[in-house]
Amino acid sequence: MKISNGVKLSPKFKIGIIIILLIALFAILNLTPAKKETKNFFYLISSPIQKTFWRAGMETSDFFEMISEMKNLKKENEELKLRIQELISENISLKELKKENEILRQALKIGLQEEFKLEFSQVTGIDISGDTILINKGLKDGVSKDLSVITEQKTLVGRISEVYKNFSKVQLITYKGISFAAEIEDHNQGTPILGEMKGKGNLKLFLDRLPQEREIKKGDIVITTALGGIFPKGLLVGEIQEIFKSDIEPWQQAEVKPAFDIKELETLFIILEF
Amino acid sequence: MSNGVKRLLFLFFCFYFLILIQTGFLIHFNIGGWWAGYGPILIAIIFINLFTPHHSWWGVSASFFGGFFLDIFSENFIGFHILILLLVSLFIKFILKKYMRIPVWEKIKK
Repeated sequence: MKISNGVKLSPKFKIGIIIILLIALFAILNLTPAKKETKNFFYLISSPIQKTFWRAGMETSDFFEMISEMKNLKKENEELKLRIQELISENISLKELKKENEILRQALKIGLQEEFKLEFSQVTGIDISGDTILINKGLKDGVSKDLSVITEQKTLVGRISEVYKNFSKVQLITYKGISFAAEIEDHNQGTPILGEMKGKGNLKLFLDRLPQEREIKKGDIVITTALGGIFPKGLLVGEIQEIFKSDIEPWQQAEVKPAFDIKELETLFIILEF
Repeated sequence: MSNGVKRLLFLFFCFYFLILIQTGFLIHFNIGGWWAGYGPILIAIIFINLFTPHHSWWGVSASFFGGFFLDIFSENFIGFHILILLLVSLFIKFILKKYMRIPVWEKIKK
């Protein structure tokens, strides 16, 4: 390479210039709002392709899952039939309770609980770390940081961690570092068991600080509480999968299976107000 | 358009396609954790660095684009994965290929 006055630049010099230019470029990208703009630009142009890949991946994995689970289908079918019968009877008693509740509300002149103000969104991709997803709603849709994200079944998925112009990143509840108050519904004693839910990364959840004297069973349902004010009350979190109890520990712990399946996430709702 | 620019564009689109497959398609299969996030791009980069001549820019360019897209689709600052992958590339080029003799590499060198 020659510059105008005829001085030849050595390859080492050229490499040095390239490295300096790259460092300057990264510094500009990371220290200015250009980082968000760059990411938003790539998310915007990738969104249609990513959506197609997301659907294709979902369908392909469902197909392979169906083949691998064919053996268990009969057994599962029988179990589900039993479960349906249980749920039907439970539903009947709940309907009775609902009716009674409505009558009591009218009697006490209490208005119906306000519904959440929701914003519909679609999953467009997943972060390479595995515990953050990308959704197609951003600043222009009124989304802001720390809003809760749920599924249509009102299952808690996570919270908004970063907002771009057209997109947002959602940290799943399994994200390492996330913690919030949750409770296990205890049907025997009537009062719920409070605990601290902690994301452990790799789609794993732990419920910590559970009182030693309370009995916890595998399959118990975990929901959010109003304590802490991060998430609205009563959202489904998951079910107890394994319990860790030790006499020397002041608390007991439990591994929780998240109620959402990351592979099935396609449409989500952002709670704008609750 | 010069060959160098063509090569850079080719690598750019290849790695863009790869990251979209990684973040949109492969995530649905039970190959979770570290592999689902880094596997395909890391393998592509190792492969390109192993089987291209020592003096060529293919490996370094591939590491740059691979790292760039990993940074775009992750929560890290831009430059984090680029740096890691460039180090991987340099390790293969200057250490692994220098001290390990494998017949295929010898042929590529020639």
